[in-house]
Amino acid sequence: MTTNAAPLAEADNARTRPTTLLSLVARYAGLLMLAFVPLIVMWNDPYWINILAYAYLFAALAGAWNVIGGFGGQFSLGHGVFFAIGAYTVARFYLDLGVTPWLAVFPAAALATVAAVLISWPTFRLRGPFFAIATMAINEVCFALANYTERMTGGPRGILIPFRAGFSNMIFAERWKYALLTFGFMCIVVLITVLLRRSRLGHYLLAIREDEDASRAAGIDVLKVKLVGMAVSAALTGIGGGIFAMYVRVLDPPTLFTLPDIGVKFALISLIGGIGTIMGPVVGALLIVPVENFLRGTIGGEIPGGHLIVLGIVFVCASLFLKRGIVGAFTEILHRIRNRTRP
Amino acid sequence: METFFNILISGILLGGIYSLVSIGLNLIFGVVRIVNFAQGEIVMLAMYATYFCTTYLGINPYIALFLVAPLMFLFGAAVQRIVLQPLQNEPMMQIFATFGLLILFENSVLALTRGEAHSLSGAYSSMVISLFGLKASGVRIVVFLAATGIAFALMFFLQNTMPGKAIRAVIQDRQSARLMGINVERTYLLTFGLGTALAGVAGALLTPIYTLSPYIGGNFILAAFAVVVLGGLGSVPGAYFGGLIVGLIESFSGYYVDPALKQAIWFIIFVAVLVVRPSGLMGQVGAEEVGLREQS
Repeated sequence: MTTNAAPLAEADNARTRPTTLLSLVARYAGLLMLAFVPLIVMWNDPYWINILAYAYLFAALAGAWNVIGGFGGQFSLGHGVFFAIGAYTVARFYLDLGVTPWLAVFPAAALATVAAVLISWPTFRLRGPFFAIATMAINEVCFALANYTERMTGGPRGILIPFRAGFSNMIFAERWKYALLTFGFMCIVVLITVLLRRSRLGHYLLAIREDEDASRAAGIDVLKVKLVGMAVSAALTGIGGGIFAMYVRVLDPPTLFTLPDIGVKFALISLIGGIGTIMGPVVGALLIVPVENFLRGTIGGEIPGGHLIVLGIVFVCASLFLKRGIVGAFTEILHRIRNRTRP
Repeated sequence: METFFNILISGILLGGIYSLVSIGLNLIFGVVRIVNFAQGEIVMLAMYATYFCTTYLGINPYIALFLVAPLMFLFGAAVQRIVLQPLQNEPMMQIFATFGLLILFENSVLALTRGEAHSLSGAYSSMVISLFGLKASGVRIVVFLAATGIAFALMFFLQNTMPGKAIRAVIQDRQSARLMGINVERTYLLTFGLGTALAGVAGALLTPIYTLSPYIGGNFILAAFAVVVLGGLGSVPGAYFGGLIVGLIESFSGYYVDPALKQAIWFIIFVAVLVVRPSGLMGQVGAEEVGLREQS
């Protein structure tokens, strides 16, 4: 089964112009600097800086999803589980044990990884849409469990993290510090995906996405590669959930498990930006999150749900006409221009 | 003992609702192989259409059904032609597209109704039939009977008519079906329309039971997918009995385990069945794979 994510143009590039790791990292660092510009411009505008912090965070989370969903072609819709585990772990460690969130993200990542392996071991037998439906069902199971296990999650009322500003608490009075934090996290995720994409694991994941049976025949341990990919993805998602917890400071099950807001959103952001590309999630999030907020303020105020009507149409159109996302379309155009000038 | 039988009956009647909602999705997912996450919203749209007919045109909801179902057939056919036909062999893009449709339908209704809840329930749901100390709601019995009737009618249609045979041929092997002179695209259009029309029937019959809200589709969609996968893709009896099984599990675990966990329990059972036997309880082994391979 193939997806439309195949960044063929990217692969061609690599063949015609051998790139060293350093120049590659430099290229993506340059692109990330571009993403940093709005933070500098708007650092004093609390409304937009808030949205920007969200956008960076969701760029990172979509990037994490992209590792297994984009490179590996495994369409998980259950990443809300890892996100929630990360959020609850950081909150519990911080509130009950007094561990600083900066360190609590590590157990959060570890627990998310354990959950990912436990969930994925059986479900990786399923392919394509069946995997997506199963992971979606698991998300709903965990939603119900989070409502039920009141001692861990605070049940339907949720957990409230008191506002105590301070660097060691990862709670800041100034919004731009949050934006800086989520920007840093996004950079880490992009760096990891750059390294991963070039590694043996990255190539294996791509091979599995293109043809699972052929990969197995070629000697790839398919289950192991998928599990490792999922583990990396879940660990990063868990850390993102932890940062989210310290940012919103109110954690209830609907905030963490609602499919269109969390689990499916990671995938939709990747779709808009470009599934299976490195910068796709960043582009997608920096576009979708501000646009959604802008529309919510303008149309959403007039017509309830108006902004989501527009977004729904955008998603339908993107799946019909922009299957490789913005980055995919851009590289394709670039590729065409280059071919014309150098036949 | 009386409690047990009351739970049994409420489970069967709940199962009737799940069966009714799932039979349409079973055609769409099992035959056309479209991962239609918007199916619950189709039911929701049909509920609002029925509500509109009853409140503003004064038509009885059980008669409005015969207006709503053909309307949903046309609507479904249009959606299939415009959005889903181009994505026939791309299950991932179908997930995105139908999720987009889900968000679109849900919020369009929210915008039109301005978030007010509507309900027909008062007049109809008060009717309760009791027999030997067992109680059952009349409107739910109607749903159960309708689900049973539709399951039989659909089986007859698939077994004995030419379009039905064409649908079965496409389930088995769409490439060979095409070689035998079946117009596969037209079969898809017909089947998808039929699937949404059945969702329309479900919506009309459920209008007297539920309080209408734009988000009500979410209650049905995962249940419907669970039922379809549990029962077996493309199998009508599978969807029917799968619905009953899910209803019974939900009802019994709600009483004997914990009402907060009733959905979690049948989701876990669903995932377990999916992993152990992906073809479902009554599906052909391998049927879950064939249609999803690239065939054109």
